[in-house]
Amino acid sequence: MSSSSAHSVSILELYPEHLESSGERGNVTALRARLERAGHQVDVVQHTIGRRLPKDPDIVVIGNGPVSAVRAVYADLMENAQALRSLADDGVPFFAVGAGAELLGGGITLADGTVLAGVGIFPFSARRGVPRQVGYIVVESAQGTVVGFEDNASEWNLDSGAVPLGVVTSGGGNGNGREGVIAGSSIATQTKGPILPLNPSLSDAVIRAALERRDVAYAPSAAHAELDRLAAKSREVIVANVKSVFTTI
Amino acid sequence: MRYIAPVLVGRAVRAVTRARGGGSALPGYIVNKMAPGFIKNVVAQFEYGIVFVLGSNGKSTTTHMLTEVLRGHGLTVFTNPSGANLPQGISSALLSEVGVTGKLKADIGILEVDEAFALELSKTLLPSTILMLNVQVDQLYRFFETEVVADMMLDTAAVATQHVISNRDDAYLSKIGEILSKKGSVVPDVTYFGAAPKLVADSAHGLFNAANHREEASTAPIDALAELESWDSTGARIRVGGELADVVLPAKGLHYGIDAAAALATAAQVLGTEFDLAKASAAFSSMTPAYGRGELLDFGNEKVEFVMFKNAASLQLNLDALPAAPEQVMVAIDEGTPDVSWLYDIDFAQLDHVDVLTGAKAWQFALRLEHEGIPVGTIEPDLKKAIELMRALPAPTTGHKTWVVNYEQMMLARKIIGYGDMEVSF
Repeated sequence: MSSSSAHSVSILELYPEHLESSGERGNVTALRARLERAGHQVDVVQHTIGRRLPKDPDIVVIGNGPVSAVRAVYADLMENAQALRSLADDGVPFFAVGAGAELLGGGITLADGTVLAGVGIFPFSARRGVPRQVGYIVVESAQGTVVGFEDNASEWNLDSGAVPLGVVTSGGGNGNGREGVIAGSSIATQTKGPILPLNPSLSDAVIRAALERRDVAYAPSAAHAELDRLAAKSREVIVANVKSVFTTI
Repeated sequence: MRYIAPVLVGRAVRAVTRARGGGSALPGYIVNKMAPGFIKNVVAQFEYGIVFVLGSNGKSTTTHMLTEVLRGHGLTVFTNPSGANLPQGISSALLSEVGVTGKLKADIGILEVDEAFALELSKTLLPSTILMLNVQVDQLYRFFETEVVADMMLDTAAVATQHVISNRDDAYLSKIGEILSKKGSVVPDVTYFGAAPKLVADSAHGLFNAANHREEASTAPIDALAELESWDSTGARIRVGGELADVVLPAKGLHYGIDAAAALATAAQVLGTEFDLAKASAAFSSMTPAYGRGELLDFGNEKVEFVMFKNAASLQLNLDALPAAPEQVMVAIDEGTPDVSWLYDIDFAQLDHVDVLTGAKAWQFALRLEHEGIPVGTIEPDLKKAIELMRALPAPTTGHKTWVVNYEQMMLARKIIGYGDMEVSF
């Protein structure tokens, strides 16, 4: 059965109290706004420590946080690691930023040398304690130009054959000329801003991947025009001011 | 005598920089270079020592409140102009007050200090008292992680030679008592301020203090020497010890009420038996707001209320303090606020529209508001033109327009409407 309206889309938001320190709630806000403007009902379910992981989400979202938050959620995440891997294997798109993405990767080497094993959904590992990158970032990707703000001291090393989200044209990204990593329809990135409101094409890619699994059509319409116009204008200014120097004392 | 040359040179530089418009940290820098012992010798003259005011938000306001309360007790107070909280700014401020021989006639120094420089400055200034206001998510692009900021404050507090005054309701700062007693320290003593639990529970977004992911919350209740009991558009009621005081707030809001409680707790500790709550309350009556913190400025035949924000906490708490959706609103935000990711953490329910959005980040702010369906009249990135658009609007029935501004746009906007002189900052 195919239907373009009134389909309830479930977004699973992982550890919002711990891992949304760089405004990643905005990524959920962007997905919700675009889905609702396309006529879909949206159901956001938050997973917090100690709760049961909800069944059958259409999209899984996770964000950034300090190392103390990474440690705080770690045991709960590991308990749910198998369930999350199954979702990814089933083609549920994950959209992951910063520390949350690193937890879903191969592992994190912290600045003191400690290694935290990851869930293994994304094919990369992170190394903390490298020189910090702060400022606007511009990336050329399969979804077009992606812009945002980066603020991290983390180098992402992709597994052999893994595909980055894109090529950095301004900024630091993974630390080696690339930014992020993709795994099937899932995306991991270090870009904040938050990234999805600023980059509607990326939001639409996540939404399409989620709805295609359920054989539901999705297309942005006139109801999305203002979101898209303001995002385009924001992106123009970011590209123009990309060399802004920020205080990092 | 050895300070005469550096002081005169510093003053000359100060005169030149001010003549060119605006204050500067440069003269302080020059004096520091010429006479590294200058500050240490000047501040050793304070009979009541030096108070550092630390915190993510509220430093300028609380410094101002504490200064006025102590002046109300007859003390001569040396303080730094609001925002001048980096080492060079503090030296510049000292320079404007001392005689050419380095003599300073003041009983106490009250200084707002940037968190990142507090520990370093404490080595020169040897603060007797440290007041810690709050740890809120602020300038992550600069501090990386909020707990780093918490540790900057907690580490500085430990070097106070007499008193620490801390926030009972802050997940990090409420730990200072435990931290110091674990060390077995006898000095400094620790005193708390706070807000009545019901006030916090009733606040739409609580206190917006940062979450502490590394430590469990204390289970033992902590007594507060000064507790905010209530606040409204006219002022705040604060219990200090067993006594109640009604004070006029220079700006309205729960956070300003808590700042007042912090100032009262600190004054009580610094003054000891000389503290007089009636004198303290009276001092609040004549206080003017700090720059951009609830200030009403003339704008033609109308007034403009400035609501300044630096980060998520200050924007949310200031929005929450608005009595109703403002009739005419301008929002101004530029690259002075580098990372605006946190705009998506803000609840904008207090705004039913924005008339004019301006500054380099106007489009990003508009994009945020569009996600909430809040209509925006005009987006005009140029501040001067935006101000003219606001001027062209009919007179608001409330008599004032509301300008929600980041620090940099506030300073520019003040200048454009004829209030040029001058907070000093970097």
